[in-house]
Amino acid sequence: MKRRFAVSFVAVAAALAGQSKVPEIPRMPGGQPNFSGVWAGPAFTHIVGPNDTDTPRVTNFDRAKMAPFQPGAQAKFLQPPTGDPRHDDPTELCLPDGHPREALAPYAQQIVQTPDSLVFLYEYMHFFRVIPIGKPHPADIDLTFMGNSVARWERDTLVIDTIGLKEWTLSASNGWHSDALHTIERLRHIDAATVSYEITIDDPKIFTKPWSQEFQMKRHPTWSLLEQVCEENNRCQGGNCTASDSQK
Amino acid sequence: MPAPKILLAVAASLLLANSVLLAHHAYTAEFDTTKPVKLTGVLAKLDWSNPHIWVYLDVKDDKGVVTTWGFSASPPGMLQRRGITRNSLKLGEVLTISGHRAKDGSNNASGNVVTFADGRDALIGQDQAVNPTLK
Repeated sequence: MKRRFAVSFVAVAAALAGQSKVPEIPRMPGGQPNFSGVWAGPAFTHIVGPNDTDTPRVTNFDRAKMAPFQPGAQAKFLQPPTGDPRHDDPTELCLPDGHPREALAPYAQQIVQTPDSLVFLYEYMHFFRVIPIGKPHPADIDLTFMGNSVARWERDTLVIDTIGLKEWTLSASNGWHSDALHTIERLRHIDAATVSYEITIDDPKIFTKPWSQEFQMKRHPTWSLLEQVCEENNRCQGGNCTASDSQK
Repeated sequence: MPAPKILLAVAASLLLANSVLLAHHAYTAEFDTTKPVKLTGVLAKLDWSNPHIWVYLDVKDDKGVVTTWGFSASPPGMLQRRGITRNSLKLGEVLTISGHRAKDGSNNASGNVVTFADGRDALIGQDQAVNPTLK
């Protein structure tokens, strides 16, 4: 009995100690951290000034953080350009960027959180992810651009596990991941307006071991998602420009 | 017409930082970074639409012949969040735009930096020099 009490006391004390580092973060009615809001994601340089402007930039994974390649996999990952936009950069044709490249797109993203799900609404190309919390992956998953994601809580960190991704570009720098890609995203408040976004890339067909990179996200209460229709006026695909009406 | 103060403040900070790359795709897929271009002309048309705004300048050569050049710049949303709106560029005003020519050799280019007639400038596009790449 005494031992059980001692263990419980230690656990409660540890929990309180952990929470004391981030006492003012938004929380759900059930006590879990609340990530809801519109965010400048990992692809923004977070220098929030008086005009509430973060600086977006196309963001790639840091080559120095990547694990060594599997034998022969470097050629699969770093495929040289062919002149075909579908291969060289599918987004030039307004094809999806897919996960995890979407998370690194230099556009805003909104999170809508409920007790049992987290919804990402991405401004870029209007993609979304509906992520159940506390459920396993389905047994039979089709390979898709955004994959299949499920989440779980590890204390105040939300851990998102994603599989079921088709072979596609890992980032804008045109590294190609395989259909075995598995990602683990960890969202954790640093303060009320800042979240640490750490993503682990586990692609056993490309890399010898998983590797991770951490970014930050900034909440922007004054932002709202904007319309972004890639097909609206997508000129110069593949370097072949069409004349505008003012040039005809 | 002077650009809004917010535009100039943001532009100045961005130019000093020299660390901005804005695109929805690979820059080099469309533009030849070995062919920089810098042209001055009259703003004839502004396509404020996705995935990139297009700015059209009527450029007059030494013989008085006018050619319309198109410059592809950042998406509307990115510019808006940096304080640059569709009203920041006025039809009929003289602008100088620098960028890189389209790979097909047509009268199109990327629009990276716009300079107003009074000398102020703003980053409206991409800076290929800081493009991070794995290759």
